[in-house]
Amino acid sequence: MGSPPLFYRWASAFLPWLGVLATITFTVGLFWGLGFAPTDYKQGDVYRIIFIHVPSAILGQSIYLMMAVFGFISMVWRAKIAGMLLIAAAPIGAGFTLIALVTGSIWGKPTWGTWWVWDARLTSTLILFFLYMTIIALHSSIENKTKADRTISILAVLGITIVPIIKKSVDWWQTLHQPSTFSLTSAPSMTADMYQPLLLCVLGFYLVFIFMLTNGLRAEIISRERDKNWVKKQFLNKEIR
Amino acid sequence: MAFRKSATYLTPLIFFLIVITFFPLALGPQQSLLSALAPGVIWISALLASLLAVEGIFSEDQRDGTLDQYFLSNEPAFLLVFAKVLCHWLVCGAPILLASIFGSMILYLPDGVLIPLLFSLFMGTFFMSLLGALGAALSLGKSAILSAVIVLPFSIPTLLMGTAIMASAINGQDYSGYLSIMGAMLAIGIPGLCILTVEAILLSYE
Repeated sequence: MGSPPLFYRWASAFLPWLGVLATITFTVGLFWGLGFAPTDYKQGDVYRIIFIHVPSAILGQSIYLMMAVFGFISMVWRAKIAGMLLIAAAPIGAGFTLIALVTGSIWGKPTWGTWWVWDARLTSTLILFFLYMTIIALHSSIENKTKADRTISILAVLGITIVPIIKKSVDWWQTLHQPSTFSLTSAPSMTADMYQPLLLCVLGFYLVFIFMLTNGLRAEIISRERDKNWVKKQFLNKEIR
Repeated sequence: MAFRKSATYLTPLIFFLIVITFFPLALGPQQSLLSALAPGVIWISALLASLLAVEGIFSEDQRDGTLDQYFLSNEPAFLLVFAKVLCHWLVCGAPILLASIFGSMILYLPDGVLIPLLFSLFMGTFFMSLLGALGAALSLGKSAILSAVIVLPFSIPTLLMGTAIMASAINGQDYSGYLSIMGAMLAIGIPGLCILTVEAILLSYE
């Protein structure tokens, strides 16, 4: 897994299957949620944005966690793939966080009466978005890509130590946002026909993310290793002399 | 060394005072408004000033080769980085701390909260110096604004803690809890951030 050619071949074989699976789960989940799940008695149809909002918020956070883990791996073991994965994941994570912020804002307007409140969860999500952007900005400022990977791995590791502190420190603000939708320890607070499509949506979003990440990683590998023999063999069917 | 050039310690100090002066100019001179905003204003100005001050901490050493000696010497490099940041804070952070007394007077900070302000700023500016040193190391040889952008999101907990200390002090509540959290952050930050800074400087040599 550590070697780029091996990873590339493995990913190329696995990618179409993953694509099909992701498309099916994502589409079914969204159709089920947006079209067939029951209407909420208090919020009406507005609540349906949850099927996009919650999965993207979950992903925005877990992608950052994943980046920190791979950042640590890249920092300690200098694994090449881990570093590339970091920069392949950062824009996707930023995208999901932005989707969570925008959908949350759209949801907030009819239910809370305002686009934005300085609430703990909203604020920490916004900060998470800034963290993604700083990682992307730092990476783009360094010419040498391998060096850039390792530089942002430092930032990713610092980020994961500071994210819990940010969460805690904004917690004493008055909180308008409802508590987490999912919890591993307690039964869901919504009916089965609402949370089943939501779970499917979360799964679908995860699969879409893995698909996008693998694809992005393949592109990253090809562009970094374009001078290597195995890439030439793969695409041009000839060796370079 | 740094004291030889007055620019090193005078510039952040002047920056801090000018930013503080800007708020009454922009918001109007009402005493009640300014006094309500004073803790936040002083905190933001101090954070920005200490961040900008520390931005160039390694660049001169990199130019004249002193930075190379850090890693050639027998001492662990993170200790040298820590010493560097500590000296820098004494030269740049401490004057800002003193100037915040003056700032609190011209912004009508409520009576009796100067001591918590100084305590929290003492730890806050030092934490910012450490963070800023990491930012400076990560963006060695790049633009100043990049290092500021890298560091700013990470300075949010410090800012929130600092303003929490101020808010509870103004309301007459016990602020020692927040103060200890801040101290804990500093205690973890000193070794943690220094090690990451060393890592970042090493990267720039590759």
